[in-house]
Amino acid sequence: MYQIGILQLTQNLDDAVQGFKYGISKNGISAKFHYLNADGNHSELPKLAAQLSDLKVDLIFACSTPAAKAALELEGNIPVVFTPVFDPVGAKLVETMEKPGGKATGMSGMVTSESKVAFIQRVLPNAKKIGVLYHKYDTNALLELGYFKTAAQSSFEIIELGISDPSDLSKLGDMLPIDLDALFIPIGRIVEENFATVVYYTDAVNLPVIASHAPNVPSGALAALTASHHKLGEACADKAIKILTGANPSTIPVGIVEQPEILLNNFAAQNLDIELPADLIAEAKEIFE
Amino acid sequence: MLLKPSSVELLAPVGNWDVLEAAISAGADAVYLGGKRFNMRMHRTDVNFDDKMLADAINYAHKSNVKLYVTVNNLISDRELDNMRSYLKLLDEIKPDALIIQDLAILELARELNFSVPLHSSVMLNTHNEYAVRKLQEYGITRVVTSREMTLTQLSLLKERTGIEIEYFMHGDMCVAQSGQCSHSGVLFGQSSNRGRCLKPCRWPYQLVDTETGAISDNDPGPYKLALKDMCLYRNLPELIQAGVCSFKIEGRMRTADFVKRIVGSYRRAIDKYIADPTGYSIDKDDWQDVYENRSRDFTTCYALGNPGAAGIGYSGEREPRFFSQAVEEAGLNGTAAIQAFSGELPEDFEPTLTVRVADLAGLTTACQNGADIVYVGGEAFKPYKPWTTADLTEAVAQAKQHNTKVIIVTPRITMEREIGEYEHFLSNIRGLNLDGIMVSNIGMLNLTRQTCSLPIQADFSANVFNHVTTKWLKNNGVVKATISPEATYGQIADLAANSVLPLELIVHGPLEAMISDHCIPSAVLKHDPLACDDLCAEKRYALLDTAGQHHPIMIDQYCRSHILFAKDLCLFQYLGSLAAISNFRIEGQHYTAEQLAVIVNAYRQELDKLKSMRSAYKYDPRKLDEIVAVSPRELGIGVFRYRVSR
Repeated sequence: MYQIGILQLTQNLDDAVQGFKYGISKNGISAKFHYLNADGNHSELPKLAAQLSDLKVDLIFACSTPAAKAALELEGNIPVVFTPVFDPVGAKLVETMEKPGGKATGMSGMVTSESKVAFIQRVLPNAKKIGVLYHKYDTNALLELGYFKTAAQSSFEIIELGISDPSDLSKLGDMLPIDLDALFIPIGRIVEENFATVVYYTDAVNLPVIASHAPNVPSGALAALTASHHKLGEACADKAIKILTGANPSTIPVGIVEQPEILLNNFAAQNLDIELPADLIAEAKEIFE
Repeated sequence: MLLKPSSVELLAPVGNWDVLEAAISAGADAVYLGGKRFNMRMHRTDVNFDDKMLADAINYAHKSNVKLYVTVNNLISDRELDNMRSYLKLLDEIKPDALIIQDLAILELARELNFSVPLHSSVMLNTHNEYAVRKLQEYGITRVVTSREMTLTQLSLLKERTGIEIEYFMHGDMCVAQSGQCSHSGVLFGQSSNRGRCLKPCRWPYQLVDTETGAISDNDPGPYKLALKDMCLYRNLPELIQAGVCSFKIEGRMRTADFVKRIVGSYRRAIDKYIADPTGYSIDKDDWQDVYENRSRDFTTCYALGNPGAAGIGYSGEREPRFFSQAVEEAGLNGTAAIQAFSGELPEDFEPTLTVRVADLAGLTTACQNGADIVYVGGEAFKPYKPWTTADLTEAVAQAKQHNTKVIIVTPRITMEREIGEYEHFLSNIRGLNLDGIMVSNIGMLNLTRQTCSLPIQADFSANVFNHVTTKWLKNNGVVKATISPEATYGQIADLAANSVLPLELIVHGPLEAMISDHCIPSAVLKHDPLACDDLCAEKRYALLDTAGQHHPIMIDQYCRSHILFAKDLCLFQYLGSLAAISNFRIEGQHYTAEQLAVIVNAYRQELDKLKSMRSAYKYDPRKLDEIVAVSPRELGIGVFRYRVSR
């Protein structure tokens, strides 16, 4: 029986943990899980990682970038499998996506900007001018903004709407240009968790919102193309099994999201007087009423 | 007091199966959790149990000899009643040990359905006096989760006087506002804290402003002026046990298994140790260290040992685990209201009644002169106004008689021991005053009034009337008219009005209260100590300035409670035709001067008379609205009417 440590930053990532456990047991691997959750508190992570190290676990499944960093910083050679990490190279968890080069590998949680641009075109075929609302000090948001701008070059005019403090969202009504066709929100905690304030202002001007964070869809975004945390967890289980049975993580490529999920909000569509295309509805993982 | 292991119940929150197992293995005597339908954690669908899992959870808990309570503590709208009936039938079959309820309609439905599962009243029912408890006992309620503002001494007294089982929050995330009485999130975002969707405006940063000079406090302890610290009574367990509280409740249905296990384990060991040897008890240093080091916010004892004042607030915001929203600019008069255009149809016998709440005799005279049919007097007196004396009331009735205006006395929204005692005295002497009625804000005051005097009784907005079954309950308990919840939207009001068994009143104009709190904001911010208040509010008025640049006036009453107003006063002047089915319209005039009130009352009177006489040909008069706007001390807005549905 293997001893597997699970290091989690917040409960929001429960799906990834469930997917991981499912993936392990599906393959008939017998394992005991040692689950530790920092409950949102970043500074707890090194201590929790050390606890797992003391338990002499065979591998750590780390949920989120900070959890992965904490696990990697442990002395010794406990292999780390991570997800959903947005930028594994930028966060210095691996050397390259193809050849991680160290004791960690995993699944990136990023849905490519190309697929997001194509998705927005399907949801809003007439959209030309897109605002991107992001926090200026959020590295994930900045990274996605860069990719998104490149991917959207020939499709949309992009208006950057950067905030430097959460309370800047209080003035979002004044920040929004009047002729935007949609507002896109890249990954990034500050905007995501204060989403009620975003949608308060976009609703007032009938502006559709395309989100990247699944819970923002039932909260009023029109649509989102997101990574399934459950599937990411499952894919991590496959990598973990390879490592447990002798493979070296340094040579196991970091995976990327292959089948992102479509989430739609029909209540928002009705309020905006938008008819969602039938093929999109048919493909959607979930439609909120 | 002789203690047995069963003297105390340790009650743990559960959001999913892992937590259920953790709580039970750590030694919880009972757990509480929500189904996927109707409970207070509706943002997080992943933390609630579906119908099948609920049944499994009950079996699992019972096998471990642990009790399981299901939270059904939401206000329900008329459209949700059928679903609620079917949910109650399901719960009656799967038999949890109790339901924890908020809406008075559930008491009515339980009788209708012959419901067999015991009922506990939720903290959201805002229960804080013995008359309320007795009323609930009549309906078979066996346990109350009391208001968090009650001290241990008050809990002992309540228990002694009523014999009810008391459940008390003793650990976790708490509200700074009185529970079940906060409409900030509901009115502003259309997501009600009374329906499990609070977006926590109390966790926003604010500045304290002197309303007259506009000066911002330079003695500022930090921006998060309402951010109550987490409650922790670990160090006060002996007091809590000796107070006679039977169920020690831990907050946190969104918490992880680890967190719940740690907290439950620590409290379990402490309780067992105390009960085994109370005189030899001492705090376990390691357990306390563990609880303290793994805290989320800093700790406070909240109101258990008395009002904590500034010590209860985490001004820096550093330990706030997350935010749910930022301040937004409230919807103004130009905003699109989800109110159906006037169809031209009026009730056959349309006889609009205009009611005005006033702060003093000058206001009363003005309201009467400008066409109020009814005036509301009494209740909370907001500084600098003084409470109505018996002489004032006598004078008020005499003046109103000259204009054929009725006078109804209002009672405070919160009536703890002090207020109840005062009203026991007042009501037994009320007959000579010749008042036309009395308005109550909670079921305790309703019960007391009914026992003490024979005046017609109305229910104010604090009674949270959100569906017609609640009006049945109120009618069965002697109420003759009910005020609609300020969180209900046009569609929800229409549904409610179509089925209500009582005449309904709607607040159409005036400032609405976002929060009511026992925490005195100015004295905490400026003096850092409630005992050193220097009567600040007698001289100066204060407001909270949010990050959207809006001022929320803080109105302080004679009981030292802070009533935080929305930045914009409600104004439905443009929509009176569409609202005609209600026919009882109220202006909350207690925060206007007599001069302002004259213009506002006059405009509404004329408009309602015009509606009555012109009927289908009626069109609202924008010039009158301009007159109202011109005299208003605050901007005007449409409140919750921005939304089709209040969620």
